[in-house]
Amino acid sequence: MPVRKWMLTRRVLGQAGAATALAAVVGRPARADRPYRIGALNPITGAGSTYGSGMQKTILFALEEVKRAGGVDGRPIEVYAEDTQTSPDAAVLAARKLIDANKVDAIIGTWSSSVSLAVLPITNEANCLLLHTSSAPALSTPAQNPKHLAWRFQAASHQIGDAYAAIAAHEKASRAAAMAFNNDVQIASVGFFRSAWEKAGGKLPNPVVYEPNRTSYAAELQQALSEKPDFLVVSGYVPDTSIILREAYEAGNTAKIVIPGWAMGPATVKALGAEVLEGLIVVDAVPDAGSAAFKTFDAAYRAATGNPGSSNIYAAMCYDMVAVLTLAMQKAGPSADNAAIAQVIPEVANPPGQAVSSFAEGRKLLQAGQKINYEGASGPIDFDERGDVTPVFGVSVFHDGKLEQRYLLK
Amino acid sequence: MSAAVGLNLAVAGLIQGLLIALAGLAVSLCFAVARFPNAATGDFMTFAAYAGVAAQAWTGSLLAGAASAVLLTAGLAVASYVLVFRNFRGRSLVAPLIASIGLAFLLRSVLTFFVGFDQHSFHVPIARAIVFAGARVRPIDLWLAGTSAVTLLAVLAVLFLTPIGRRMRAVADNPELARASGIRARAVMLTLWTLIGACSAVGGVMLGLQTVVVPEMGWNLLLPAFAAAVLGGVGNPTGAVLAGIALGLVQALSTPLVGFTYQTAISFILLIATLVLRPQGLLGRAEPVR
Amino acid sequence: MQGYLTAVGTVGGIYALLALGLNLQYGFTGLINFGVVAFYAVGAYTSALLALRGVPFVLDFAAAAVLAALFAWPLGVMCLRLRDDYLAIVTLAFAEILRTVIVSEEWLTNGTRGIPGIPRPFSGLGAAAGGFAYLALVLAAMLAGVSLTVRLVGSPFGRLIQAIRDDEDAVRSVGKSPARCKLVVFMIGAGLTGLAGALYAHYLTYISPDQFVPLLTFYVWIAVIMGGAGRVGGAIAGAALLTLFLEGSRFLRDVLPFVSEVQMASLRLAAIGLMLILFTLYRPQGLLGRVAR
Repeated sequence: MPVRKWMLTRRVLGQAGAATALAAVVGRPARADRPYRIGALNPITGAGSTYGSGMQKTILFALEEVKRAGGVDGRPIEVYAEDTQTSPDAAVLAARKLIDANKVDAIIGTWSSSVSLAVLPITNEANCLLLHTSSAPALSTPAQNPKHLAWRFQAASHQIGDAYAAIAAHEKASRAAAMAFNNDVQIASVGFFRSAWEKAGGKLPNPVVYEPNRTSYAAELQQALSEKPDFLVVSGYVPDTSIILREAYEAGNTAKIVIPGWAMGPATVKALGAEVLEGLIVVDAVPDAGSAAFKTFDAAYRAATGNPGSSNIYAAMCYDMVAVLTLAMQKAGPSADNAAIAQVIPEVANPPGQAVSSFAEGRKLLQAGQKINYEGASGPIDFDERGDVTPVFGVSVFHDGKLEQRYLLK
Repeated sequence: MSAAVGLNLAVAGLIQGLLIALAGLAVSLCFAVARFPNAATGDFMTFAAYAGVAAQAWTGSLLAGAASAVLLTAGLAVASYVLVFRNFRGRSLVAPLIASIGLAFLLRSVLTFFVGFDQHSFHVPIARAIVFAGARVRPIDLWLAGTSAVTLLAVLAVLFLTPIGRRMRAVADNPELARASGIRARAVMLTLWTLIGACSAVGGVMLGLQTVVVPEMGWNLLLPAFAAAVLGGVGNPTGAVLAGIALGLVQALSTPLVGFTYQTAISFILLIATLVLRPQGLLGRAEPVR
Repeated sequence: MQGYLTAVGTVGGIYALLALGLNLQYGFTGLINFGVVAFYAVGAYTSALLALRGVPFVLDFAAAAVLAALFAWPLGVMCLRLRDDYLAIVTLAFAEILRTVIVSEEWLTNGTRGIPGIPRPFSGLGAAAGGFAYLALVLAAMLAGVSLTVRLVGSPFGRLIQAIRDDEDAVRSVGKSPARCKLVVFMIGAGLTGLAGALYAHYLTYISPDQFVPLLTFYVWIAVIMGGAGRVGGAIAGAALLTLFLEGSRFLRDVLPFVSEVQMASLRLAAIGLMLILFTLYRPQGLLGRVAR
């Protein structure tokens, strides 16, 4: 039944494992004699489809990598894949199926906030881990995450908003403006941009909120540019951002435009070309394209999808989810339940400890009893006490048809 | 709202209106002669845009891409008539309407099965707009306006200047009478569906040139297209085009009053209001085209 | 597995309730309502907002049904005299207008952020028992919908509405007002849809505007058409079949490793499209239906 099944049981556990394999397949707390099951729950279709299949493929090859490195000691791993359809109700049934039918212990890679918010009560109830890439602040409040089973691998809205303000300051903007796609995450991030920017003494007219699926955003752009800003944040997704960037160019816009990394894909460059994109600022949570984890991820991602790893930041996050989860499993030991695994996630991901960039490296050090600090493909992956990753933003500028990283925001 | 701002809103509205008008034209033709609202129109457009992108990539020429899109989509429309819609003659309009929704889903999913969900685009030079009396006009806008006008004229020419067009209008007016007077439905319907496919294709390619090519692009334009076809008076192609343009203008010019989120809703409210006050549509007569 | 089956049963029961509402409107009376999702959303939001203000569940559910029916009233008054296909387009447009209102009127609906933390009845019983109890509630609502439909259809009024469906002019000629009857049916159907919305909101405990998209309307249509329009059992059978298909395709994917999840999503929609075409072409009366329409 599973997509790919790793029967490491015999090899790792030997006779003891085989003898007890019959003993328990029931019971939620994961046991050494039962494989640890991971549900890859990604937005394969719907609004998140640009990223979803890349995320799912990444989870599969990352687990393959874990397996090649020898696997988690005493813990065979199985993976089941599902589609959220970027829709909360489809995601709820998919999560139910993963938990009840496939008996997964962790769900990883839910993308949009509405999906994660709908799935979270279910995973909490089942004592299942949820590693997600959603920005909504509510996901890490004590009310929604009482057992600390949910972990955020994506910058939260307020962190993104602060980053926009920091870039505006760095670019010495005098008049700023903002446009946001009409959804929770985009509106929240420009809202936080506005408050951070106004706290720093700047002024920002009401952000222009636009509807998805329009044939043109000329009217919205005219409104956003009406105060003649020299700095414009456009917070949306790939298709609408492509149209807006093009229409801004056609309208002779001179303001510096900043977009989040997720709104830019290889298709954007193909659609618009170097001249339209010249000077475009892209802020992204990939801090250091030179990190070792990123290089490994990038090579594997290219092999799996044909696209560069930088085109899918969420896939990089999924890569880190697999690494962090398996390292935590390794550290917590073969009989640990999810509460114990969740507890050691910060211990393998945060400093202090020797920096590692892959499961293989970390496994060796953990076996030797050393402390480790996983540095990932999507960032240094350090969690705060709420379970939110603390991102480092890389700021890149489009120049001569290429995206060049200029500076980091920490 | 300064004059220049209003003028630019009007230009933006006009462009959106032309796209709605092209889709509305295809819906209206089907409404007039085959007598049901064809929900697959939007996905005919999507298909045309993908076909155009593929053909452009293969031949390197936008014109060749657009021409292949028109041919292929016309073929698709004719095939959908022969395989599906032909069989609904004499049944209530619900059956073909539901089937057209099914066809829309089927077309889109076959497309995504093979090409995935990624965004594609036509290769066109992107140029700065020309400022003309305070209004910014892009070269592509002129192309769109010209193409829409030519398409409409071509459709009207077929309807009113050719023998097959006359027969088509006779079928639209009164199918029984047309059949009784010896008009063979077959040739009429094949021509009709060729026209529907061609109009959808022009609309789809234009939409793709204006925006980006994604699987749901046409489906998203369907409801405005229905609105245009109904507002224009059922079975009145000229009316559908004018209503489409009017919808685009109303949407854009209403934004200073209602904001950007309500602009699409405005056109639907207009649609409902019109139907209640004037069920035959703005330009409609009691009977379809004569 | 049990928890999953309970979840599938609950969702299937909600679909069945939706199908019952539409079957009353389309199957028995011939009203082409393409705005199912609008009344569903009205029910969901009404019940959720009231529950969060401390109103007891019984009143929430009742208010959801009543308000959804009231939303149908002006629409019905305006549009039921129109051509059949106009009603289809108007209701489709109404659903989009309503969704825009939900997105925009943040003071009431919390906009695109949605409403998390909607209380669920029986949640105090624990996960398994609570899930079962909720399933029982949904099934009870479904049975209530069935018995309402059966009584309505069997009454003189029921014979009248079916006569309207089959020949409106004949009904008018005997001095009855078809528009009035249609309005009543439209509102009752909307009420059932609203109740389904309330059950959905409390089950999911989180609602947001992007859950109320036109695709849901088409799912309900598929259920009614597959099961057989104008048959009480048809709505239930259609909803069961739809749920089986939507959920079954998940398991199909598990045993077809060469089909990627992306392709499976395409295949799922393709199958739905194909079923719609084939049913309207070759079996317009649905699986259970007898009446050719």
